[in-house]
Amino acid sequence: MIEKEVDVLVIGSGAGGGTVASELSSLCREGLTIAVLEQGPRLSREQFTGRELEMARTLYADSGGYLTKDMSMALAFARTYGGSTVVYTGTSLKIPEAVVKRWSVPDLNYQDLMDRSDKHMAANGVHPLEPDKLNDNNRLFRQGCDKLGYRVQQFPINVRGCRGAGVCNFGCPNGAKQGTDRVQLPAAEAEGVQVVTGCRAIRVGPGWCEACVSRPATGLDPIWEPGDYRIRARAIVISGGAVHSPALLAHSGMSDSLPVLGRYFTAHPALILVAQHDREITNYHGHPKSYYCDQFVESRKFLLETCMYFPFTTAKYLVGYGPDHSRMMSRMDRLQMILALAIDPPRWENRVTADGNGKPMVDYRLGPEVLDALHQSMRTAARIFFASGARRVHAPGGRKFFIEREEQDQIDSLIPRSGIRTGKVGVASAHLMGGCRMGRDSTDSVTDSHGRIHGVPGLYVADASLFPSCSEINPYVTIMALADRVADSVRHDLPELRHS
Amino acid sequence: MTTVLSESQVRFLLFLAEAIVPEVGDLDDTGRRSCVAIIDQALQDRPPPLRRKFIFFLSALRWTPVFRHGVPLDSLRGEALNAALDWFQDCPLPLVRKGFWGLKTLIFMGYYGRPEVGEAIHYTPSFSGNDFLEGNCRD
Repeated sequence: MIEKEVDVLVIGSGAGGGTVASELSSLCREGLTIAVLEQGPRLSREQFTGRELEMARTLYADSGGYLTKDMSMALAFARTYGGSTVVYTGTSLKIPEAVVKRWSVPDLNYQDLMDRSDKHMAANGVHPLEPDKLNDNNRLFRQGCDKLGYRVQQFPINVRGCRGAGVCNFGCPNGAKQGTDRVQLPAAEAEGVQVVTGCRAIRVGPGWCEACVSRPATGLDPIWEPGDYRIRARAIVISGGAVHSPALLAHSGMSDSLPVLGRYFTAHPALILVAQHDREITNYHGHPKSYYCDQFVESRKFLLETCMYFPFTTAKYLVGYGPDHSRMMSRMDRLQMILALAIDPPRWENRVTADGNGKPMVDYRLGPEVLDALHQSMRTAARIFFASGARRVHAPGGRKFFIEREEQDQIDSLIPRSGIRTGKVGVASAHLMGGCRMGRDSTDSVTDSHGRIHGVPGLYVADASLFPSCSEINPYVTIMALADRVADSVRHDLPELRHS
Repeated sequence: MTTVLSESQVRFLLFLAEAIVPEVGDLDDTGRRSCVAIIDQALQDRPPPLRRKFIFFLSALRWTPVFRHGVPLDSLRGEALNAALDWFQDCPLPLVRKGFWGLKTLIFMGYYGRPEVGEAIHYTPSFSGNDFLEGNCRD
């Protein structure tokens, strides 16, 4: 076992960990040492090839298909220098005030979150994409929503010099997306923070962490030699994301003292909905995600966003097989896509645990309210597709593979609620939240509003696992705002914290 | 050559692949090998219990039709084959539906995960995709 000692240890390098590292990096000037442990590899620019299977295997846990325990939902989360900020589309929204009110976390102030969100959105170059860079897939969605009178808004995104490669979900080959891999981590490293890739945290406790460094199959060598480590730190910030952070704490034996640990996991369960046009449209060229429709968030509990996925991903989320499926897939250049996300309620029984080896297990049940939301989202998306001129629509829970334009007045009967059957309809999630929720004390939460784990001085959480319920929008700006608060609390607490 | 599936399992998988993606039937030997290699790699990457479940499901898929049709699945053709596959896809047991979804996923991965499929399905992305937008956007 190799011994290491640092002042601050951050586990994870995504929106949470990258932000904490960057915010605390000035401490290096005072002689303090900070290390970030990242399980995934660090790639050179040339290694972002945009090839679907290759990049999915390199960047994502289980190639992006990490299954929940009952195998009804596939979770996508990244493991690489920059975490999931490498593979999202860069959509940057601030959390709605109503959601923060519902969280009712003592001492968590909405305006404070907005100020911190603004700060990080400015640092990451967030702005709406210029109109001449919007492709047909996005413009058609806006037109469809406008025609139906649905509220539609443009996403601000965090890109600089976007060339429209369209493969955001596999890391930007042009380096345009301003995730923590491009902004916060390089800034932190410039101040002296060490980022150790290929390093898996195995267990943590007050003032210590056991970890294992190994050479990744792809990417640059880690800056620490391969081997088993015991790292002592005055403060440890866990930012492994909503799957890994609760699992790491559970594997470290904290479930008894923190009964809420791993509970209230939420995921914005999502469907990929696809329509075909009579003609070619621009869809896979250009940024894939420019608009969203939040008209139905309160009333029907779903959010619609534009999206454009890749051949295999698209194929697997169409229900069915055979000639109809092939017909749809044979013209990728005619496809319009919408991502429907359900606003899922926080449930005690939806939970992250760890198996004997520390591997996270996600126990999540797609409840009736989620299936209702997904069902309604399919009907609404079908209307938007037709309003934007689509020839035929594929609804995963539909009575037939295609609903033709001439049948659009029968949408309700052609997409029955009974068609939404788990296992048959492929449900995915990339917005993983909860499991270390903030709150008052250990009876209702895992941390306080500053990410301090109840009863364990010097141990913090800074990622989406802090969310008491789902954010109802793309979560990364909120993760950064919360991580910024956690960094403040670490800075405040450090003088009182000693190496154990 | 696969590390997870036996030769007979590969043959059965290719039979299913052709039913699920008819274009698999048009692939030459190299294309089929590439398809199988992708599936094999995906199975290798998965935990052993999941691999075992998948192989068990393949066997169940093959032999369950004996009870209804008197022959294994790979002896069925046309409507009878589609009816059998539809039964698995819509099975009242969620576990069977999930197994069928997993099978389809692997087959789609094998076929649509090959970089060379792009031309055939009109999918030719570019790292400078914005160049293609000029003059192409229609309102």
